[in-house]
Amino acid sequence: MAAPFKPFTDSPIAYVDNDGNPVAKMKSAFSDDDLKRLYRLMVLCRAIDDRGYIMVRQGRAGFLAQTAGQEASQIGSAFTLEKKDWVFTTHRELGAALTKGMTPGQLLAHVLGKDLDPSKGRNMPSHYGDGELNIVTPSSVVGNKTPAAVGVAMAATIRKSGQVAMCYMGDGATSEGDTLAAFNFAGVFNAPAVFALQNNQYAISIDVKHQTKSRTFAEKASAFGFDGYLVDGNDVIACAEVSKFAIDKARSGGGPTLIEFLTYRYGPHSSADDDSRYRKKEEIELWRNTRDPIMRMRKYLTKQGLLDDASEAKMQEEIKHVVEQGLTEAEASPLPAPETVFDHAYATLLPHQIDEKIEIFGHA
Amino acid sequence: MAIETATKTLTMVQAVREAMLEEMRLDDTVCILGEDVGPRGGVFLCTEGLYAEFGPDRVIDTPLSEAGILGGALGMAMNGLRPIAEIQFIDFLFPGYDQLYSEIAKIRYRSAGMFKAPMVIRGPYGGGVRGGVYHSQSPEELFAHIPGLKVVVPSNPYDAKGLLISAIRDEDPVVFLEPKRIYRGVKNEVPEGAYTVPIGKAKVVREGSDATLISYGAMLHVALEAADRLAAEGKNVEVIDLRSLVPYDGETILTSVKKTGHAVVVVEAPKLGSFANEISAYIAEKAIEYLEGPIIRVASIDTSVPYNLEKYYLPDADRIVKATKKTLEF
Ligand SMILES: Cc1ncc(C[n+]2csc(CCOP(=O)(O)OP(=O)(O)O)c2C)c(N)n1
Repeated sequence: MAAPFKPFTDSPIAYVDNDGNPVAKMKSAFSDDDLKRLYRLMVLCRAIDDRGYIMVRQGRAGFLAQTAGQEASQIGSAFTLEKKDWVFTTHRELGAALTKGMTPGQLLAHVLGKDLDPSKGRNMPSHYGDGELNIVTPSSVVGNKTPAAVGVAMAATIRKSGQVAMCYMGDGATSEGDTLAAFNFAGVFNAPAVFALQNNQYAISIDVKHQTKSRTFAEKASAFGFDGYLVDGNDVIACAEVSKFAIDKARSGGGPTLIEFLTYRYGPHSSADDDSRYRKKEEIELWRNTRDPIMRMRKYLTKQGLLDDASEAKMQEEIKHVVEQGLTEAEASPLPAPETVFDHAYATLLPHQIDEKIEIFGHA
Repeated sequence: MAIETATKTLTMVQAVREAMLEEMRLDDTVCILGEDVGPRGGVFLCTEGLYAEFGPDRVIDTPLSEAGILGGALGMAMNGLRPIAEIQFIDFLFPGYDQLYSEIAKIRYRSAGMFKAPMVIRGPYGGGVRGGVYHSQSPEELFAHIPGLKVVVPSNPYDAKGLLISAIRDEDPVVFLEPKRIYRGVKNEVPEGAYTVPIGKAKVVREGSDATLISYGAMLHVALEAADRLAAEGKNVEVIDLRSLVPYDGETILTSVKKTGHAVVVVEAPKLGSFANEISAYIAEKAIEYLEGPIIRVASIDTSVPYNLEKYYLPDADRIVKATKKTLEF
């Protein structure tokens, strides 16, 4: 398959520069409507993320790992997935979950641990999953979901289902043995899997220099016999283009791809972290003020004549409304009933659990 | 020696930190490795300031790999150091479980004592912090069951410091589990300088004659709350803090149970296969003729830990009071 970009480059693949100007020769195949949808999804994602953060500050949520700054890589990578495709999230994939089709109401209900959360509030916030959309509810264990993503992809090949598995991970996750086991399986079995590696440059306080001696994460793919692409993770068009290429390649029997999205998280690692202990404010400001993925796309669309002040204002208004409505749905949703605490440990309650249920609730 | 030692009021986090600090000052083979233990000071600040004092050779920030941390610590221990491997949350030890199960625990035995692993594996564990499925678990029995490992669980800062110093000085690998629910909530007076609390000695923390409550870690405090409520109803229960699971102090347990005739064992792990079973079986084997009612286990329910319904999952004082009355009224 001919692509306008190469694997294993030293500098990130980009379509648009920080000022919103097209990079020479890089012409996106996405329609104007698609580009506007990408932009809208990023703005919506940021708005939901901000909402979640307010809930933490209000004490209504116990935890949040914010996505802010990483919208382009998550949304761009999930943008051309089909409904039947699988997504393996980690603890930060609000943008991917939203793009795959979870609603603002579900996403905010998850933050509140409410019944409307497809995973019924079982997990801490920021662990999005939805069985209807093949978004696998994640564990919090870094790096351990990758092998199952490859297994899903292997099953897709065996069953000829035409599905692709998109597996998210952070830079830190590449240090876990499970990730390397998964890469190896993916190569050996030519699995239709795409590894979406968001290099936000930190694993909590550990910067990438202390995570790996490799120059890039993308180049790790070469040891496993497949291609790795280094992409400007704040350029949503580049993210979507390279991901589309990898997804199409996987679907047509071309095997796995590793994509490293070079990006940055604005917030602390999570609501429980104090990032002033390990990084400088100026660094955060640099990314936020000059490399922001939303700002970059806004400039691009404006320069391309696809967005003006009036349409921007209209979209902002619409998004405000969508988020408010999602919040209303999430708040109106009840907590799951206490008795459901025993549900889904197994397909059916086991005898010793029935005893426990009677002990606690007075009935089976 | 009648030397008055100065004390300070410390939290569990501070006590754990002090134990490492004292031992690192006394013994330059003691070192720490783990995720974010360096300039960040650990996500709970147990290693705050240690990087600044001891530098990157002794306070080692590692890549994100528990197999690397645990196996690496084992190698360091075999080659003359006394490493303390911090696992950020015990729930995340499992990518490195093989290192613990197959390597760390068995190196002394399989080599007939030619190689040993004097090291500590420590980290926060347990629920009650809205941590959901993976920041709340109590998997102590998965360590206690492995021959070759010692397992220690402090319930307060004084014990935490003394037990951790004992663990660091121990010739065998010690899994040191810190109940994070009481990391900052429970404080007591902690002596300055190094002192030890022996591994393998339980403590009677409340005397009584009607029944024996046996617990450890964060649940000890819930058991004490239950004891207060039972006292208000005229029932005088003895409360034992096990402190060490491997080895455990059978003598203190038996002395108490022979006196009271009733035993309730309180653990935070799911009941099936929990450490409460070991203690219950031990009492049944050694003292059944003294018992006047069934041994009762109070534990979490046999599910994973739910984020939003945790209060139905964890044992509380109500459940302990009910269990105690059940055996008393037998
Ligand atoms: C196996 C494991 N070890 C440690 C942790 C604690 N922890 C949670 S997130 C994290 C850093 C993850 O970094 P990265 O993979 O780069 O993803 P990011 O959080 O930056 O998105 C750590 C150490 C964990 N969740 N799982």
